[in-house]
Amino acid sequence: MSNDSLGGIGFGGDLPWRRIVVGAAALGLVVLAVAGLLAPESDAGRLLDILTAQSTLAATLRLSVPIAFAALGGIFAEKSGVINIGLEGLLIIAAFSGVYLADVTGSAWMGVLGGVVASTVLAALFAVVCIEFQADQIIAGLAVWLIALGLAPFASQVVYGGPNTTSVETVGTLTIPVLSEIPFFGALFNATPFVYLMFVAVALSWYVINRTTFGRWVRASGENPKALDTAGVDVHHVRYAAVLLSGVLAGVGGAALSLSLGQFTGNGPTMVNGKGFIAIVAYLFGNYNPVGAFLSTVLFAGLDALQLTLQARDVFDIPQPLVRTIPYLTVIVVLALFGRTRTPAAAGDHYESGDD
Amino acid sequence: MNLRDSAERLVRASAFERFLISAAALFLSIAVGFVLILAAGRMTTCGTAATSFFGVGFCYDPITVYDRLFLGAFGNVFTDPLNGQFATTLSETTVLMFTGVAVAVAFRAGIFNIGTQGQLVVGALATAVAVLAASPLVSGLLGTLLLVPFGLLVGAVFGGAYGAIPGLLKAYADANEVITTIMLNFVATSVALFLVQDHFADPESAATQTVPLPDYAVFPSTVFRPRDDFSLLAFLFAVAVLVGIYVFLERTSFGYDLRTSGIQPEAAEYGGVDAPRTVVASMALSGALGGLGGAVYVLMILGNFQTGVPSYGFDGITVSILAGNNPLGVGFAALLFGVLKSGSIVVDVGTDVPPQLVGVLRGLIILFVAMPEFFRMIGRRVWTFEDDSGPQPVTDGGSGGERDE
Repeated sequence: MSNDSLGGIGFGGDLPWRRIVVGAAALGLVVLAVAGLLAPESDAGRLLDILTAQSTLAATLRLSVPIAFAALGGIFAEKSGVINIGLEGLLIIAAFSGVYLADVTGSAWMGVLGGVVASTVLAALFAVVCIEFQADQIIAGLAVWLIALGLAPFASQVVYGGPNTTSVETVGTLTIPVLSEIPFFGALFNATPFVYLMFVAVALSWYVINRTTFGRWVRASGENPKALDTAGVDVHHVRYAAVLLSGVLAGVGGAALSLSLGQFTGNGPTMVNGKGFIAIVAYLFGNYNPVGAFLSTVLFAGLDALQLTLQARDVFDIPQPLVRTIPYLTVIVVLALFGRTRTPAAAGDHYESGDD
Repeated sequence: MNLRDSAERLVRASAFERFLISAAALFLSIAVGFVLILAAGRMTTCGTAATSFFGVGFCYDPITVYDRLFLGAFGNVFTDPLNGQFATTLSETTVLMFTGVAVAVAFRAGIFNIGTQGQLVVGALATAVAVLAASPLVSGLLGTLLLVPFGLLVGAVFGGAYGAIPGLLKAYADANEVITTIMLNFVATSVALFLVQDHFADPESAATQTVPLPDYAVFPSTVFRPRDDFSLLAFLFAVAVLVGIYVFLERTSFGYDLRTSGIQPEAAEYGGVDAPRTVVASMALSGALGGLGGAVYVLMILGNFQTGVPSYGFDGITVSILAGNNPLGVGFAALLFGVLKSGSIVVDVGTDVPPQLVGVLRGLIILFVAMPEFFRMIGRRVWTFEDDSGPQPVTDGGSGGERDE
């Protein structure tokens, strides 16, 4: 592989790390593609076959949805100065509430709404605890996660008599004729409404953060709350809005997760299974930029899709439990290489206005 | 009144205040749980209402639930002090002491180790495999005397090594330890599943578990019945570890460095503390304590390693936070949680309320302890407090408000 990425491993150097790693990865893919095309029967050929399958892209998009929405929410919260470690909990509560309300109302879309409301209520609780009562944000975020981790299986047990809910109607897929016939990329036009919504949400988030007054307030609230305060904008109000927004977005992601399958499973770490924490790494890797966060989400979700396909097809002789660790290990490696993102200056700090 | 007196008074006041905050948080969690049980009783269907408030019937009666939860854990302790339910309470407490103090050591060093669960799994599996491999070499009482300490050592070493990984990543690559430790929990669970399935499975069993350890290779049950899976020796060992860690933190120079790094990283650096090494050492120690918990879980409760380890590591977070990250306080908080865990079994058997209730309480307690300002505000309404310092993160040993006499 590209050895120059190993040439300057030192600390504090201004190496364009991202470029080098992405370049090395791209080079690796090219080598794999050439090898795969030359020898379709080899391991490289089989791997290429999996990578270029339409089903792989479809699975990648499906798995991206909860991570991408949670990551967008996390960006708003952290940009405003509130680190939201509790995204995992918001996804869990939305995933359960989505199925429960879809079951009660008989409509998948009411379920989505229910999931969003539940997640937003929990985010509001988190916001009050952090902003009003000056709690340590990391501890409060962990509490949100653990509350949801207990509450969702509890509620599921009460209503359905077990940690897994009954199956409800899924949201279904929207297929765009002709376009969905394209090899590989056809998956983009044969997906759940959530996938289309995800692209819209990424673009909108980018626009709101970088091109609107509210976005400017959010950025100022995280970087220099004092200046924002001096300009006459209430820092607390901005932070409340940003954290509630993270609740809404994570709510869509969580409801999408359970309602595209039509069931909530609450065993162990539940069906959310760390997606909320992967979302945090996704937006750190994407440097707090919605588009960057989306691209790193696709990377993680793609690895997840790959491991699911590897498990399903069983072409390589790797034990399944080990294959399952691929996304988690990648997250750790990415975090170790790009851990030094510049967090907003005031993130994690409580802001108290001088004049009360 | 000189400065030293007032400083001491402040520390006493803050320790007392922390106790009050923990007690208030616990009480508030139980109150929220009360409402939750009532609400859950409206979500489900039942033939006859278990209780009714204000003319509305509810399927679950919170009073009954809490009665079973807290008193069920003790069984008929007055007539039979060695009863099985009480043994379960104490054995849960024993493991929670290790996970609680593991989390406390990291938090005191200013590191959020959420990976105690993974470190416990790694320690538990290593202990089960190593003791099984060594068991043919010795037997009888000598076997117990050699194998149990050996198992504990293996658990501590493997847990410590697994804890050192996120420590190294934080110290030398700036990787946020909250994320890395949570990811490593998933990795530990999957790798343990793989190792047991492919290499250490018990051929006699359908479940995913290792070969049972011989009787002489586990903790002897001493005064309790052997089938109750509780050993007074393990319990006393846990108490000794808590006291040891307390002395280490309060009385040794390394413990001092560790605490200073937690409260004032810049000051610690300035005072000549090697920050990266302190981070790695704290995480290794924290992981070793988690691994010890895993070893005790194997050598006292299971007698082998099985996949699907209970959430001792996450409970340890609550135990530590409830104890204000004080190793001696961890003992009491672990007992409280041992009661809840053991009582939840009684609740599960005796009522229709799911045992996951304890999981909800676990999160609520952390949330309420994390917001001392809330209680101070109520306190100020009730008494007249001085307008004191700002927020106190739960991870520091800081001082809180002072009562205005």
